[in-house]
Parts: sequence; structure tokens; C-alpha cells
Amino acid sequence: MKKNPYQPIETNLIEVISESPVIKTFVLQPKEGFRFNTGQFIELSLNGTGEAPFTPSSDPNISKEIEVTIMNAGRLTAGLHQLKNGETLGIRGPYGKGYPLNEFKGKNILIVGGGVGLAPLRSLIYSLLADTSSFGKIYLCYGAKTPQDIIYKNQIQKWKRAIDIKISVDRADDDWKGNVGVVTTLLNDFKENLSNFISIVCGPPIMMKFTTYKLIDIGFKPSDIYLSMEKNMSCGLGKCGHCRMGRFYVCKDGPVFTFDKIKDMHDLWD
Amino acid sequence: MDKYFIQKKDTAKFLDNLSRDYGVYVPYRIKGKEIPCDLNLKLPTDDYLLESWDRIKKEDFTFNEYRAIEPLRTFFAFPKERLRLDEEEKKAAIFGVKNCDLFSLKIQDFVFLDGEARDPFYERRRQNALLISGDCPSFKETCFCRSLDINPYPSEGFDINFSPLDENFLVDTGSQRGEEIIKSSGLFNHATPAQISRRDEKRNSVVKRLTEHLAFHQIPPKDVLQEIVRDGYESDVWREEASSCVECGGCNLSCDTCHCFLLSEDRLKDTNEKIRAWDACLYANFARVAGGANPLKRRYQRLRNRYLKKFDFFPDNIKLNACCGCGRCIDVCPGKIDIRRILRRLNEEKSVSAH
Repeated sequence: MKKNPYQPIETNLIEVISESPVIKTFVLQPKEGFRFNTGQFIELSLNGTGEAPFTPSSDPNISKEIEVTIMNAGRLTAGLHQLKNGETLGIRGPYGKGYPLNEFKGKNILIVGGGVGLAPLRSLIYSLLADTSSFGKIYLCYGAKTPQDIIYKNQIQKWKRAIDIKISVDRADDDWKGNVGVVTTLLNDFKENLSNFISIVCGPPIMMKFTTYKLIDIGFKPSDIYLSMEKNMSCGLGKCGHCRMGRFYVCKDGPVFTFDKIKDMHDLWD
Repeated sequence: MDKYFIQKKDTAKFLDNLSRDYGVYVPYRIKGKEIPCDLNLKLPTDDYLLESWDRIKKEDFTFNEYRAIEPLRTFFAFPKERLRLDEEEKKAAIFGVKNCDLFSLKIQDFVFLDGEARDPFYERRRQNALLISGDCPSFKETCFCRSLDINPYPSEGFDINFSPLDENFLVDTGSQRGEEIIKSSGLFNHATPAQISRRDEKRNSVVKRLTEHLAFHQIPPKDVLQEIVRDGYESDVWREEASSCVECGGCNLSCDTCHCFLLSEDRLKDTNEKIRAWDACLYANFARVAGGANPLKRRYQRLRNRYLKKFDFFPDNIKLNACCGCGRCIDVCPGKIDIRRILRRLNEEKSVSAH
């Protein structure tokens, strides 16, 4: 019998890690083999509630377990945030093209993340760190609303050995000693030679918009800026029609696009 | 492929024979709403539904003058269905398919059969279905296939085609399967050259009348449609036309080339089986994402999106406009939004701004 591409495979929820007051990481163990490339997304479903696209935040080289970091933002994610270890979820995919690691080889890499947008970037960072000799210097600029909203605090500490990391928060609390301001302010004194540099951006639309303009401002070429676009990807297969963006479907032509491919589109950041 | 002739009285027998192997669907006439023609061409206003041959009285069988109410895609991706591959389905033989419908299958085939994942539900039904098309001996007020260079008679994409000839039919075969069915039925004779030339005359005369009717609507030619919807992105036409939209989704759901669908869960059963239902891009939440962001928040944006999808996205991807000129969206719209008028207005604005 032919394969039903809409049928999720069952997956056990083996751990729930609280990352911030509104963000949790779900550790999943699919009952059948499941592999993805960094930057590809999956459709995660909760029986009777619905299904939504998420980009895994775990190391794609680890195939037994998949981690998905999810903010409580809607009906499905609210349902997911109620879940405890041992429950069963559905997973389909992976979909889309993901990050073209081969194009990054030999280049210096500036990663800019905002909020829960660090989730797909964590998967990317794991891939880069697994093969550091293939890539140049790696920089990470990360912005969160408040110090409480910074996710992956422990991992970030470990990454500091290999990555030049700057973090900013929109609003500080009494204990915060670091930068205050939107994430683009971290780029004000970014004075590297950009001749062999690419940049990868993931975050909420408004953050992606201003970060992209800032990167252009400091000298990045549109073709060297990799953006993770978010639309209402539902089927993941370029058939259901919901995630059209100009001549593309984000689900199958993206979700990662270089800015030059999409910069002339109307209402790009809406 | 060959040309045959069948007497009207034998067509019922032919359909009966077919119904042994197929679920046969035939046109069934219903009273339509009267739409006056601006040119006083006295156009027919009745409508047709495609009904199961087993469910209608045989004397009610009729040859449809133009496309039925339901789009052909109804037979391949059902309006609502459980996505289970293990359920047996009877093959469909659909009588009364028109050339607009056949054109639209090119769009549907691209969506469901092209690319990395073929849709097994669509694929199975599409491969199994027997398409018995027919010429349009007339047209509705809303028909505008010729504006898109689509003829009111098929020339490809069918298994069998019926052209009315007085009370009887000239029959073309378009596939090996169609040829075999005709031959094995014993109900068809070979067509004579005189019959063929009379059929061709009838075709030409319908095209002539339709062209006359369409001249009134001044629909821009198909090759400029992409340009006018692109250049008209900021046009007031969208806001003005969308003001009477009640977001019923009728234009989408009656459309032969629309294909968007929703995947959802069965709320009553603890299963991860998917249910698929047709969706409509005129609905407010079509493009909404978690957290509430919605790139198509306003009605005029959604109306414009429908046109960009049809006349910009599809030409970019497969060099075809995703519109067959069937006019179903015009018939169905309670807000009297008329695709012919929108295209004409965009074109007029463009020629004004060019001067």
C-alpha cells in the first residue's frame, strides 16, 4: 500500500524541560525512525487538539530523541504546555529545506536570534560545533525580552568556549549586568571584515525585519543573510496552500530563504 | 483515437453498462436563477448537478449544455474526508465534464501529483476515474472560458467526449481505455465525415456567439493578467470590490482550480488520523499563525490574495493561469463580486496610468 503522507507517527514524550515562564522544551522519542536536517521543520500534533509546525531545537546527529522548544502562544501550544512525561504525540516530517550547511563551509558565521527563535538556531549551533574545523569564526547575538526570558542558559555558558556570544534584554531586572536594548543594538559595534561572512537570523517577524535592515546597514549582502520565515505551514508538502509567500510555499521552498530571494515581496514581515 | 456515433436512446444502455464497473455520475437539470444577459442573447439559466446514475430516474438523464454547479475536483479531493488509505472506493465515471473542468485538472494535478510527495488519495481516484466530457452547445451568462483561450469543447484530457448532434452524439475517444470501452460496448458506429463536419460547424458557431457575448465584458487577454494583478497591488479596486464580500468562501469552494485544504483532527476519537476539509482563502483565519499574526488580516487583502494566487503564483510556477473561466465564482457570490469586472478594472487602471 502507498504511504499516507499526512499520517503522523506516534512519539513518546519522555521529558519536559522548562526554559522560561512561557517556553518549554519537549523531548520526544518517535516510535519509528525519524531524521531531520537542521532548519527543517516538523508537524507536531496533539490528538483531538490540532497540529502545528515547529523546528526541532536538538542536534540532528542524535536520531533517537528529538527536542522541540515551544512557546505557549496559542490553542495547541497551550495544550502542549499542559502535558507531562509519558504522553503520546504525533509527528510528521521533516519538511522544507533547512540550513544549507555546505554553503556555510569555510565562512565566518553571525547568528542573530530573538526570543524562542533561538530554538532552531540551537539545532544549527549543535551542527556547527560538531564540525568546527569546517567553519570560520562563529558569533551569536541573542535578544530576549527580560533576563527571565533567556532560554538555554546552561548551554549558552558551554558554547562560550567556541562562540563569541553577546546577549541583550529589552528590559533589565535588578540583577542584570549585561546589555539592555533590542538585539540590533548588539550589532552597533560589530566591526568585523565581512568579505567572508554570512548571517543567519531567526526570531519574531519584527525582530527579523529590523535585524535584516541592520545587517544590510553594516555591510552584509542580501544573498548572505539567511532568514527563517514563518507562515501558516499546515500540510508541509506544498499542497494545502496556507503558507504561500509570493511565488514560494514556505513549507517546501523554505522555511530558510536568503534575503535576496524574497526582499521585493509585498508585506514580507506581516 | 477514433470518432464514433451513438443514438441518444442507446446512451442510457451505455451508462447502465458502465455502472457495472464504475460509480457513474450524470448531469441532472435543476432550475437556476435567472441572470439577464446584457446583450439579450436569451442565454439558458438552468443549472446542472452531477448525480449518481443509480439515484436519478433514467428519463431525467440529460446532456448538460455547460459545466455543472460542482467543480470537478469534488471527485478527487473530497470536500471533507478522513485520510485513510485502507478504505475501498468504487471508481468514478463522470459524464458531463466540460473543457473548463479539464483545464482545471492541470492545476489540480500539479498540486496533488507533482513535487516530492504525491497525494495518494487524489492519485488513486484520478487514475481510476473515467472522464466522459462533452462539448458545450451553449453557455451561461457567466461563462468566459474563451477569454482565457479555453474552448467550449474539449480537445485533450478526456477518455471519451460527447458532441451533441441533433438528438444524438458524435463521440471522440481520447485514451486507450476510452477506446476499449466504446469498442466493447457494441453501441457505437463509426462517425461519417458529414457528421464530423456538422459537429465542427456547431463548435464554431458556439465560439462565435460566446466571443460576441464576451466582447461586452472586455476581459483583458490572458497574457496580461499576471502583469495587471502585480501592478495593481496597491489599487483601490481590491478595497472597493471587497466591500460587498461576506466571507462566505463561496468563490473558493465553487472554484475548479482552488485546492487549499485544512488538516484537522478527529475530536471525537483518540486517534492521530487526519481529516481533510476544503479551506477558503477568503476566510479570516486562513493565514493566521499562533500568537495572532495574520498576513491576510483584511478582507481586501484576502480578495487580492485570491487573484495573486491564480494569476501570479501559478504562472510563475507552471506558466498557467489558475482560472478556467467557468464563472462559478460569479454565479455563487452573494456580494455580486465579478472576476470579469475586477480584471477589467485592473486593466483599465493600468492603461490609464500608462498614458
